[in-house]
Amino acid sequence: MPPGAVLSLTRLPMFRLALLYSALFAFSTLVLFAFIYWQTAVVEIQRVDGQLLHDAQFLGNLKPSDLKDTIDNRVMPDFRRVAHAGLFGPDGARIAGNLPSLPDNLKFNGTVHRVNVPAAHLTIRAVGLPLPDGTRLVIGRNVESLDNLQTVVIHALELGLVPAVLLALGAGGLASQRTRKQLQKVHETAERIMKGDLRERLPTHGGGDDLDRLASSVNHMLDEIARLMDDMKSVGDNIAHDLRTPLTRVRARLERARESASTQEEWQVTVDRAIAGLDQALRLITALLRISEIEGGRRRAAFEMVALHQIASEIAELYEPIAEEKEVEFSLSLAEAPLIAGDRDLLSELISNLVDNALKFTPAGGRVRLSLETGPGGLILAVTDTGPGIPPELHEAVFQRFFRSDASRSIEGYGLGLSLVDAIAKLHGFTLEIGDNNPGCVFILRCCE
Amino acid sequence: MTTSDLHAPVRLLVIEDDQETADEIVSEFSEAGYEVRHAADGPQGLALAGGGNFDIIVMDRMLPGLDGLAILGALRQAQISTPVILMSALGDVDERVRGLKAGGDDYLTKPFVMAELGARIEALLRRPALSRETVLRVGALEMDLIERTVRRGAREIELLPREFKLLDYLMRRPGQVLTRAMLLENVWNYRFIAETNLVDVHVGKLRKKIDAPGEAPMIQSVRGSGFMLIANG
Repeated sequence: MPPGAVLSLTRLPMFRLALLYSALFAFSTLVLFAFIYWQTAVVEIQRVDGQLLHDAQFLGNLKPSDLKDTIDNRVMPDFRRVAHAGLFGPDGARIAGNLPSLPDNLKFNGTVHRVNVPAAHLTIRAVGLPLPDGTRLVIGRNVESLDNLQTVVIHALELGLVPAVLLALGAGGLASQRTRKQLQKVHETAERIMKGDLRERLPTHGGGDDLDRLASSVNHMLDEIARLMDDMKSVGDNIAHDLRTPLTRVRARLERARESASTQEEWQVTVDRAIAGLDQALRLITALLRISEIEGGRRRAAFEMVALHQIASEIAELYEPIAEEKEVEFSLSLAEAPLIAGDRDLLSELISNLVDNALKFTPAGGRVRLSLETGPGGLILAVTDTGPGIPPELHEAVFQRFFRSDASRSIEGYGLGLSLVDAIAKLHGFTLEIGDNNPGCVFILRCCE
Repeated sequence: MTTSDLHAPVRLLVIEDDQETADEIVSEFSEAGYEVRHAADGPQGLALAGGGNFDIIVMDRMLPGLDGLAILGALRQAQISTPVILMSALGDVDERVRGLKAGGDDYLTKPFVMAELGARIEALLRRPALSRETVLRVGALEMDLIERTVRRGAREIELLPREFKLLDYLMRRPGQVLTRAMLLENVWNYRFIAETNLVDVHVGKLRKKIDAPGEAPMIQSVRGSGFMLIANG
């Protein structure tokens, strides 16, 4: 979507939703009203029909002589009951009542039906009754009230439905407009972020609605990205620095040799040192590539069931002579552990890095201990040393690439060992902590099941 | 660099698209007395290798035209079992596993030193046959695999299990340069660069026991590459 594009209202999901709801509401109201109307009409007709039949029966049972009088004096004035009545002779001539003529289509079978009285311009519900003396009785009732009911229902519909639909559309429109504005803001901010301004954040108004929550999630994500970018930058700076140091040295040596080296031997020494410097730079690059490869996580596909105590004991065997050489007491305590899913090579690299570090930083006469136990939460592998230890405020920092505490700067190492350990632990879903051993430190790897 | 002790010159095929790397390898091994041919791309490499007239093939993993693994697959399909060393800039262990599964005999990550490649070529050319012997002998050195005892001449040598394992590997490859990486990989099954001088310490400990003061040294350091056991005394 190009920036600043005018979003038409109907393209907004919110408004479309409002439209849909209004239509549904209108439809269901129509159905409801139709049902009410139909039910009322049926009940009203049944009531009228019942009265007509009742009255017809009553009148039909009177003596013919009384009938005319009853119609004229008792039936006609009672407007609540029968509106129309007529007594007609066998020839169809009117004898009594207010119907001017026989209605069309009236069947004299004692049932109520709808008929026209053309002479009076009437449509009524009527019942016809043939009397024993040959005369015919018709009583009927106006059903105008039903027409009124229809009008009332339609009126109610107009009064209720139309404003409700308009209201829904209006509210939908307003909400959409508001959403549109918020989205527009988000969109503009996103544009700015994409152009490289990573400090920008999406606007939030603390309302806690969906859009707000989404915006704060995106903001959290941006925080994380900014942090990673910073990390990358400082790693980049560190790489550049750590590569430049050996390369500068190599360059200086070669230059000096070109000026002053005269014997074959001098040349050889220079070249050997140059190669050593380049090797150092290459090792650094290799280690970085390995870390990013591990962090890429592709190796999880190659996991198999491995025995951690076995790996640990192999690494211990590899490092025993180193400990002897350094006069560090190296002890082992490996419980037999259940198999865990992992990458054998990487796990042995992890343990060997921890052991290597511990031996490197522990002075002669010190102790290094490698242990594996099965705890309640899974396996716990610990490497304990009696070296200088790591101050608590640096416990997090040591896992960052290129970190080297001031104390360790004098000791050979590339500052990548622990980031590698951390990357491998994370790949396996293990947690790694550093504790104090007073003196020295302990690295604890928790392999949760 | 030790040359092979076969009478005819070793025929080496180098399949490598990077001209500079190829030149390095070709001149290094030509000087060492190998008969070296070079192919600069996959199809040409496969055509040459398919002739089957080589003792060993060194091949880049990524090649223009035809991938290294594809060539390897085609060769093995055609029953050509010439040993192949794959070279690759990918340090990925998965790549290594794939290379070895496809029929490669060794895998070398770039950049490497020529001595490493040389040692690995020699190791493949002189791959020890699976021997059923229960006693290994190099000069006066004798290892009983059943009794797990070692003696040099009349002198009994007490070895720790880890030292025994290392000497076993050395005694099966006498007169052969074994690099630190090869020892780490094959003796300890450890496949990455160790920052500490692990191998030197292990070999140093073993050497103290094998070469007593006054005896001619059997375990020799080869400058810039690794170690070698020779039949001295």
